Amino acid sequence: MHKVNRTVTALALAILFTGSVVLVGCSSSPNEAQMKQLNDLKEEVASLQKEVAAKEQQKGAMEKEVAEKSAKLKKCNDDQAIVKQRLAK
Amino acid sequence: MKVNNIFFVLAALLAFALGASAQEMTKDQWQQEINQLTQSRTELSAKVTALGADVTTMQGQSTQIDADYQKCMDGLYALVGSDAAKAAAYSSDIEAAENKANELGRLSDADLVASSGEVDALAANVKGLWDNKLSLIPVFWDRLTALNEKVKSLQTTLANQMKVYTVGTWARDRDCLWNISKKKDIYNNAWLWPKIWQGNRDEIKDPDVIKKGQKLKIPKGNEMNAEEKAAAKKYYARKAAK
Repeated sequence: MHKVNRTVTALALAILFTGSVVLVGCSSSPNEAQMKQLNDLKEEVASLQKEVAAKEQQKGAMEKEVAEKSAKLKKCNDDQAIVKQRLAK
Repeated sequence: MKVNNIFFVLAALLAFALGASAQEMTKDQWQQEINQLTQSRTELSAKVTALGADVTTMQGQSTQIDADYQKCMDGLYALVGSDAAKAAAYSSDIEAAENKANELGRLSDADLVASSGEVDALAANVKGLWDNKLSLIPVFWDRLTALNEKVKSLQTTLANQMKVYTVGTWARDRDCLWNISKKKDIYNNAWLWPKIWQGNRDEIKDPDVIKKGQKLKIPKGNEMNAEEKAAAKKYYARKAAK
């Protein structure tokens, strides 16, 4: 009986040892350089997202400016037509 | 005992390894994330470039519109034989007339009657502004039209406040401001003659001199306002000094 116990214990120890070695030593995690590459890429993407937002805002402001100026120009052309009409009377 | 210790150490090591492996990223996950981020970077870079191009195009459009607008305005002023500087001065003149009309519009009826000369001057000023060809430009046209309405309103108020009396001859009618004021259908009170004088400042420079045929506005009311009283006081003081 004592002999069986010793065998079971030895077997359990062997399984635990092998499992630990396999999990700790043979896992396929990225190394430090690869993690740095990933983080750099994340920062670059975040920076680009900010740049896109800023450019979209700038574009919106320009669209508004161009629309306002176009309206002013149209009014000027309309005014010219009205003045010509009034002068002809 | 020794075997038990080793057993516990190995169990702890296994538990740690299991925990660590559950938290850490695998190479496959890393690769997947790298791929996604690389794709995002490519798309975002393209978007930045496209947006930059759009903004540049619009800046060009804006500059072109500015130039076109300037050309259009120069053409507009040229149509009426004017330029931007003259138009700015004309706009200021209209503004001054608008301010005057607003100022007169705030007066009480009695004070407006006393300032009837200013209403007449304003009406003449507005007529002069209409005579300028710049008035054909809609922005000025609209302002002058509004100004006309204000002047008309002031003139209507004045007309409602005043009768008109046509001066006769001294020989026949004995017309002087004192006698006119004394008439029953005027004030029935000779002492109110300064009201007629102040209501006709544009017509009467010297209250002792009125001419045959002059049409005098007769302000409403049977009391003198402050301005009329002041004018009367000044007149009597001048007479006393002679």
